[in-house]
Amino acid sequence: MNIRRNIVKERLHQGKTVSCLAAWGYSGPDQIERLAPMKPHGVFLEGEHGNVDPPNLSNFTRACDIIGATPIVRINQNDQGVIYRTLDLGALGIVVPHVNNKEEAENVVEGGKFYPLGKRGSFTSRQGIGVDNYHDLANDQTMLIVLLEDIVAVENLDSILEVDHIDVFMVPSGDLAQSMGLPGQANHPDVQKVVDETMRRITKKGRITGAIANKSNVKNLYDNGARFLLCDPRPYMSEGFKKFQEFAGKHIK
Amino acid sequence: MEIRKNRIKQRLKEGKHVIAIENLNDPDTVEQFAPNDPHCFWFEGEHFNVNPQNIGDLTRASDLINATSIVRVPRPEYQVIYHALDLGAQGVAVPHVKNKFDAELVVKASKFSPIGKRGMFISRQGIGVDDYFQKANDETFVLVFIEDLEAIENLDEILDVENIDVFFVGPGDLSQELGHSGEINHPDVKKIVQEVINRITKKGRVAGTVANASSYEWAMQTGARFFLSGALDWINHGFDDFNDFLLSIEN
Repeated sequence: MNIRRNIVKERLHQGKTVSCLAAWGYSGPDQIERLAPMKPHGVFLEGEHGNVDPPNLSNFTRACDIIGATPIVRINQNDQGVIYRTLDLGALGIVVPHVNNKEEAENVVEGGKFYPLGKRGSFTSRQGIGVDNYHDLANDQTMLIVLLEDIVAVENLDSILEVDHIDVFMVPSGDLAQSMGLPGQANHPDVQKVVDETMRRITKKGRITGAIANKSNVKNLYDNGARFLLCDPRPYMSEGFKKFQEFAGKHIK
Repeated sequence: MEIRKNRIKQRLKEGKHVIAIENLNDPDTVEQFAPNDPHCFWFEGEHFNVNPQNIGDLTRASDLINATSIVRVPRPEYQVIYHALDLGAQGVAVPHVKNKFDAELVVKASKFSPIGKRGMFISRQGIGVDDYFQKANDETFVLVFIEDLEAIENLDEILDVENIDVFFVGPGDLSQELGHSGEINHPDVKKIVQEVINRITKKGRVAGTVANASSYEWAMQTGARFFLSGALDWINHGFDDFNDFLLSIEN
């Protein structure tokens, strides 16, 4: 049997954009399977702040696999055991929060890749069932994403970018704002300036960046080099509900 | 303690519309929808994964954000209907009600004496409530589906049954019998749906139907006041719109 291909990783390394739906405000394996007609390249499963964890990871990632969307899981700590257990349970992409320096970035690679690139615990993942030479093929299909979301990570950017085998470096503004003494002010011009500059530095080094995207910010993100685009379904639902409600209010009461 | 008020019964009494949101059959997801101040969530137990194991969690999340919870049960069956209410649903939706007997069964199962004889049990909604058995009937919402040609033939006698809040005209199943399987926007299907809604509202009862992205402007001008709308439809619209825009930037 052939190993399942990581569509998101493939597209990113071809220089293409990817649109992933984040399972925020719309989650659960049965619900995710129903995203199929929208053909998302990937689905982002929330395990840093949400309920995605080992008891439900297999069902979540199976639902993604069956609709041809790459399952990407955000975990809640930069711990090698957590990284490879998440991969063992079917994730094809791992998102690691708060990576602040080169050593922490190296830790992600060590936990996420088998020998010779790293020392991921030896085990055949859901993604490896019946696959010949799984241990040789897995590294190619495993995607690693790190979040540079503390100002110290921005200070250490050059050395972090020296670490190979990390596919995407994101610069989320929420935590970054906190670390700059501006809690809750992700849209503050000082924060946005750092985000924009950092994304451009990542792109300039030939690495890939990404962000949470919507119609109003995606042009700027694209121009800064972002190709990994994460879509939040909550505003879509709010807008849809609002539109229906307003129409009904106008024609009924 | 006071019984939890049924928000959509109140809205309907005031002549207002109600939008019941489907596709969010997950407690965390329901809670996340709070900023939109939804009227009502529709938990799908005829076709989806809603069942006695998760009704407590789903309806608790809904209660917490002040949205009425409706569970669609799999069939018009006495125990199945009140079990959903016992577990916390503030309303039941019952599919394939075809005649007066079915409609009366639904009321019998949903309401305590003297209106019906719902099995005696204190629901989640009755914890600590004084005189729960006297008050529960007022806060329990009942919806029946008119979705078979047989039901349309028997419509007059069905509409004589009291204590049903909404008569929901289901275009999906009707489309099968009308020879346009799955085409809920087919003119023949719309024509029948409109006719049935007219008959319901003429009798002073409340009608409901499906309002999705392709049909809501029509559905909301039929005279119906209760609408079943899918969150998935809204996500689909938003995501497609984003991707079209992205494509225009890339090219």
